[in-house]
Amino acid sequence: MTRSNIELGDVTPHNIKQLKKLNTVVFPVSYNEKFYIDVLEAGELAKLVYYNDIVVGAVCCRIDTSENQRRLYIMTLGCLSSYRRLGIGTVMFQHILNYAEKDGNFDSIFLHVQINNEGAIAFYKKFGFEIVETKEHYYKRIEPADAYVLQKTLRNTNSNTSGANSNHIHNHAAHSNGHLDKKEKKA
Amino acid sequence: MPSSDPLPPKESALFRKLLKCYEMKQYKNGLKLAKQILSNPKYAEHGETLAMKGLTLNGLGRRDEAYKYVRLGLRKDLRSHVCWHVYGLLQRSDKKYDEAIKCYRNALKWEKDNLQILKDLSLLQIQMRDLEGYKETRHHLFTLRPSQHASWIGFAMSYHLIGDLEMANSILETFSQSQASIETHDYRHSELLLYQNQILIEAGNLQRALDHLHQYESQIVDKLAVQESVGDLHIKLGQPALAVPIFEELIRRNPENTLYYSQYFAAREFTEPADKLAAFKQFEEIYPRAMCPKRLPLDVASGDAFRAALDSYLRRGLRKGVPPLFVNVRVLHRNHEKAAIIEELALQYYENLTRSGHFSREDADANLPVEPASALVWTALFLAQHYDYKRDTEHALEYVNAAIEHTPTLIELFMTKGRIYKHAGDPVEAYMWMDEAQSMDTADRYINSKCAKYMLRANLVKEAEEICSKFTREGVTAMENLNEMQCMWFQTECALAYQRMGLWGDSLKKCHEVDRHFSEIIEDQFDFHTYCMRKMTLRAYIGLLRLEDVLRRHPFYFKAAKCAIEVYIRLYDKPLKSEETIEEIDSENLPPSELKKLRSKQRKAKKKAELESAQAAQAQVKREQHQKSKQQANQEADPEAPQLDELIPEKLERPDDPLDKAIEFLKPLQQLAKDRIETHLLAFEIYCRKNKILLMLQSIRRAIAIDATHSSIHACIARFAQALSKLTANGELNVSVQTVIDKATKELIGTKSVQQLNDEFVAQKSDSIMHLYEGARIMYELDPNKRNEAIKLITSFDINKVKLEEATKIFEALRSGAFGECTAELRQYRTTCQQRFKYARVFKDIADTESNAAANDVNHVDEKSKPNAISADEKTADL
Repeated sequence: MTRSNIELGDVTPHNIKQLKKLNTVVFPVSYNEKFYIDVLEAGELAKLVYYNDIVVGAVCCRIDTSENQRRLYIMTLGCLSSYRRLGIGTVMFQHILNYAEKDGNFDSIFLHVQINNEGAIAFYKKFGFEIVETKEHYYKRIEPADAYVLQKTLRNTNSNTSGANSNHIHNHAAHSNGHLDKKEKKA
Repeated sequence: MPSSDPLPPKESALFRKLLKCYEMKQYKNGLKLAKQILSNPKYAEHGETLAMKGLTLNGLGRRDEAYKYVRLGLRKDLRSHVCWHVYGLLQRSDKKYDEAIKCYRNALKWEKDNLQILKDLSLLQIQMRDLEGYKETRHHLFTLRPSQHASWIGFAMSYHLIGDLEMANSILETFSQSQASIETHDYRHSELLLYQNQILIEAGNLQRALDHLHQYESQIVDKLAVQESVGDLHIKLGQPALAVPIFEELIRRNPENTLYYSQYFAAREFTEPADKLAAFKQFEEIYPRAMCPKRLPLDVASGDAFRAALDSYLRRGLRKGVPPLFVNVRVLHRNHEKAAIIEELALQYYENLTRSGHFSREDADANLPVEPASALVWTALFLAQHYDYKRDTEHALEYVNAAIEHTPTLIELFMTKGRIYKHAGDPVEAYMWMDEAQSMDTADRYINSKCAKYMLRANLVKEAEEICSKFTREGVTAMENLNEMQCMWFQTECALAYQRMGLWGDSLKKCHEVDRHFSEIIEDQFDFHTYCMRKMTLRAYIGLLRLEDVLRRHPFYFKAAKCAIEVYIRLYDKPLKSEETIEEIDSENLPPSELKKLRSKQRKAKKKAELESAQAAQAQVKREQHQKSKQQANQEADPEAPQLDELIPEKLERPDDPLDKAIEFLKPLQQLAKDRIETHLLAFEIYCRKNKILLMLQSIRRAIAIDATHSSIHACIARFAQALSKLTANGELNVSVQTVIDKATKELIGTKSVQQLNDEFVAQKSDSIMHLYEGARIMYELDPNKRNEAIKLITSFDINKVKLEEATKIFEALRSGAFGECTAELRQYRTTCQQRFKYARVFKDIADTESNAAANDVNHVDEKSKPNAISADEKTADL
């Protein structure tokens, strides 16, 4: 492949429109204003990816402290279809993983994905994620409405948690793109 | 300074202190001292003290009092050079340079060798370009102070400016020989030598200039200037071989200077494209990162060589994602063969990138690595721009939409989409896309400005100002700040928008603001007269003087002046009613009930007006406070600057004599933009209305000298002939004028009648729509019965050969009644144009326009939301 340049960049009030455009194209649900306001405060947890100086992808995370754990939740991680299979997702995930490892205080990284999104599931499995739960009717306006919870454990001490959750693995053949955070979509 | 009215020692000491205080800008102390002297009843009317008091008051910004005291002082002591000098200084601070010069001259009458006065006078003379006077003053200063460097330099410069280069050179020669020791790295000395060299070159003494450079090379620190000059001189002196190594070295220094390459070719005496291409190839190998050796061959090459050079140039740009790639090759489109090759290559790239990710099938077959994923979107953008250049709106939109589909985050795509709509004649759709682009990166001032400009093209002045305010200083309105910053493109576009909207006063205000910027730039050179002499930046100084001489040649001035002239002509043709008469309504003939309504309306209006004026007063107070705080902030911030009249639209659009106002804008154009035909066409429009037959003739002749085939000239001649016959019939021409006119008309018109002239014209120019249009208008004016024939002449012209601008002009003429009542023809022509220019807003039905606008909004939403449509099936994995 001809040499090309992949870099991460901050989300700022000046370029947030690009993130919005990207998300509307990549994900089948739209996110509310609150989502974007929070993203502006997210620092390293929200990043744009530039491929040869063009915004082609973005990752947005937040810290989740439910269930007595401190977990990193990936709200969105996606890339324009014309720029897939170029290693852009890996760059984004690696950034998030580095962040979590550097922090050292996360139990795990987790996310939701539509059960038919084989591409996404394969992508995350590559990085050691496992399906730990299926949430039925997780999505409101898209089909299939069910979602897997994918999780990658970071602390050895918590291995029992993931073991318990792994009972819920469902196997559904399907395909779609992106994984979606239900909470944002509801608005 | 010996005084004509001497003070006793005590007061004399106080007066000297007063002078000192003025120089130190201690104005308050100065006033106290003046008061001390004047409080002595014996000297209460001492002229020089009164004058100095006035000057000190001026320093405090109390202009009116300043004039009062200075004049009073002068009246008390007319024979005092001090009083005259002070009066001169006051006038100078008021920018009344002509008056100031007179005062200095009077001062010199009483004190002819006063250095300060002579120096001040010389500054004013150069500012006013009184070159003869400047030379005399400089000579006088030179004889008084021959030991000072500045005396020599100014003396030489005065001869240079007057064109006596020999004298200027010999003064400088003598001067530099008289200088004993020269330090190494003496920048001022170095500049002086280069200035002298410039004089030699301007005098055409090329060999002497070359020798001079060689002789003093070691003392000149600006090595680049020496190299450039020596190289150039070798070429001009017919020693090209000597220039070759020099330009090779210069190219090494800066491989991006296009001039070096053309001079290198001149030195190598290359005329054949093949030689140049070979040389470019060599340079490209030596300097692989330089752009010039890649881009310049495209101008020289043709045929296969061009194709090969272009191929690698485009591939490189598309691979990297060079946003202005199209702009870089746009000029090549003028050559049809090259334009065709550009299109062919770009289409080939697009096809292959879509299929295999390569630029060509050969690459794919050779199993070369694929191009970056972004190459496709840049290629699509390039094609969109290419088709837009060809005004092929359909294809342009097709490619730009494909590109947006591919990469909806690339801002350039939305800018291009806006530009396509602009060229297609829809400024509203255009600005909406530009606004979209702007919203994607609000930290980018370039896009911000573009968006503002597009908004102005859509007549949205308020919106444009708001957009600009993202980058203007806080605390003042964007409009004020942009004026302060002399942001002329914005103001000119505002003026044109107001002109389109028929807001004549607002339009004129903007034009006058632009005009004032130019005056201010000319004003600003004043400080450089002393500064450059002191710093010895003489080459730059001469450049500045020459620039200021032709400043209003700048296209910015032309644009604003053209707009102002057109508006003034419009105001002459259809003057506005005075403000009062608009208000006045015939109240007598109204029924009582209506009258009552009217009265209550008037009361309300009055109340509203009062409220507004109160608000305006408040705003005024605020503004004054702002001014004051600003003055306090920078206390020495030129309290001397004269206050210009406020530009009030309501007053501007009701001028006493619009044509005279128009002529004020025209004069600089006639002097400095005389090579533009529009100047003379505008001049004709003015003089035609003033019935100045000789000036009409002059304008026509000057226009013909520029472009005899221009479509507007025929109409000018016809109108000239008509005006002439009217004047002759009335016997208003005097004999000598008649002689001149007769001679000229023989050349222009011969013995033909206007009718004959027009018939011939129409027959001759049947292949040019603009000529036919002018002919048709005259045809109708001469004989209203020929209306149908005239209209048919232009509406039956093959619409596919008509450009959008031309069709618009014809359509507007039909609509404005230039051919009388013609509803049916207008509708017909509109339909024809609609089909040809389906995006152009001007041809859309008026009633439709509004609903169309609404529909467009919906379209926008549709298009933007299209990609969000949930169609999971279409989408593959996101990674």
